[in-house]
Amino acid sequence: MIEISGLAKSFAVAASRPRGLGRFAHLTRKRVAPTVVHAVRDVSFTAPGGHITGLLGPNGAGKTTTLRMLAALITPDAERLLVDGIDVVARPREVLAKMGVLSDSRGLYARLTARENIVYYGALQGMEREAADARAQDLARMFDMTALLDRRTDGFSQGERMKTALVRALVHDPANIILDEPTNGLDVLATRALRDSLRWLRTPAGGSKCIVFSTHIMQEVERLCDSVVVVADGRTVASGTVPELLERTGESDFEEAFVKLAFAPAGDRAGDVREAP
Amino acid sequence: MSRRAAAVLVVLRKELTDALRDRRTLLTVLFSSVLMGPLVLVAISGLIASLESRAEQREVYVAGLANAPTLRNFLERQTYTVKEAPPGYEAELRKSRFSDPVVVVPADFEAMLARGEAPVVEIVSDSANQSSEASTGRIERLLGGFGRERAVLNIALRGVAVQLLEPIQIESHDLASTQTRATRITGMLPYFVMMAVLYGALTAALDTTAGERERGSLEPLLMNPTERWAIVAGKWGAVACVSMLIAVLSSFSFLPGQWVLRSDTLAAMFQYGLREALLFLVVLLPFAAALSALLMAMAIRCKTFKEAQANSTIVLLAVSLLPLVNVFNLGGEAPWHLWVPALAQNTLMTKVLKGEALGWAEMLIPLFVCVLLAAVSVWFVARMLRHAALK
Repeated sequence: MIEISGLAKSFAVAASRPRGLGRFAHLTRKRVAPTVVHAVRDVSFTAPGGHITGLLGPNGAGKTTTLRMLAALITPDAERLLVDGIDVVARPREVLAKMGVLSDSRGLYARLTARENIVYYGALQGMEREAADARAQDLARMFDMTALLDRRTDGFSQGERMKTALVRALVHDPANIILDEPTNGLDVLATRALRDSLRWLRTPAGGSKCIVFSTHIMQEVERLCDSVVVVADGRTVASGTVPELLERTGESDFEEAFVKLAFAPAGDRAGDVREAP
Repeated sequence: MSRRAAAVLVVLRKELTDALRDRRTLLTVLFSSVLMGPLVLVAISGLIASLESRAEQREVYVAGLANAPTLRNFLERQTYTVKEAPPGYEAELRKSRFSDPVVVVPADFEAMLARGEAPVVEIVSDSANQSSEASTGRIERLLGGFGRERAVLNIALRGVAVQLLEPIQIESHDLASTQTRATRITGMLPYFVMMAVLYGALTAALDTTAGERERGSLEPLLMNPTERWAIVAGKWGAVACVSMLIAVLSSFSFLPGQWVLRSDTLAAMFQYGLREALLFLVVLLPFAAALSALLMAMAIRCKTFKEAQANSTIVLLAVSLLPLVNVFNLGGEAPWHLWVPALAQNTLMTKVLKGEALGWAEMLIPLFVCVLLAAVSVWFVARMLRHAALK
């Protein structure tokens, strides 16, 4: 269970230095104040267990920043960030132990085998090596990558890397799974396999996981998500199930509905914001 | 074992595996560091052996030999072989193709000598031609001996006491021990060892920091519930292990290096046994650990391996230039030398080679500096880690 309300984060970006003689301007003139970029202004949603929540938004909407704050990599300015009732800012390590994150960057160690990559993360999560190894084996079977396990990740394809990174994030059997654009670079079959796996993880047999998954691809959301949180310009602009959002915008095509919600002028959509179920 | 210590070990084990799998880099470093000692020694001993053999040959090259039968007689009585200088010897000397100084005798040498007119005898050498320069002193002493003999004969004929010619007697005492004299030759060995340690640490240090950033594996790594300092400590431990391994190998490489010495003189002067190797290690191990941490601190600021390599040039320069204070002997040994990393290690290792005893203070000050440097660097890396993961 992940609860986020009133999440905000701004970064100070240093003004770019002018080229040529202009770069000496600071000697005579006052310093240019750094620009403040509001990456996230007000994101709120609740993602319950046994439920797939899609975080949908255009590029630069603040999805990755939101997920990074959830993973305690960035300290938010204002927030209430709870994972299974634990405050992320106050007790980040307890939260990370309950979370599996497939982040935007998913680099592997090229000189280690897929198994070693996975077991390393298991050990960092405090698992015994044998347990981590057994779990790697199980997950590999689930993601159809048993043949890859003992190969060095050096020559892996995009999809193989993705799978390894995903298994690595799930090795400690976390109750909460966060995936940042997991289908990037995956072909149709791999995407399907991923969708099936996520659906299974949602079921009681799969552990009733709480899955939050950010994307900018409409089909993913339509096919997979139980509820959708639309984020635009650092704000939650709408949330609900796909049919609910279609109904609210009066569209039959989800893409049209999304464009309406995400790119509408701020005044028009203000009334649409509401808490997710 | 506490959970934290376990986490440090997990990271250490992984980073070591990773570093040891990078066979090509590791082999290059191992080869250069292990072979460095013996190679340098062989080169030095070859040089000395050639100087020694030239001195043993007892040859003198004279231009205009036919003009000076008296000189020839003297030289041959000193058991020297007198040879006519080759034609064009000046050009040969300049090109370093001929390696002995040449004595030039004027045509009217004998006549002038008989008249007591002091003929001018030239010794032609080229100071840029090191081996000819080395023999010049020997030839000068030889000709001086000829002059003295002539003088003694002339004076004795007139009934004057020979002692009048030498109103004082000169005796020189060299205070340097054999080992101290040897350090003039072996003085660069500590420098090579330190460079080997540096290059040993370099790749691993850069790979665990800037490399991790470049691969995009740092961000997921920090999404584990492991404390940052434990991650950094594990990484540092692994890098330090690699560079310490190089330190051990290069320190011990001088032991077999000794057996291949071609010069007996050098072999007698260069005392490097197990004791010296162990003392080298006492000096080098903390230095290797501190250097690893420092390189990591330099590299964590860089987004790519390449950028980190460019940045680490500063450390490379510092480690290679600081010992030069010692080599050029600027102002002799000063207490502050011990407070400067690299310079301190060079000073101490030179002392070990000289066979001088090392005091506790001399050992503890550099150790303290290394511990401090490592602590600050590791703290800095831990502090920068989260920031580095995101950019």
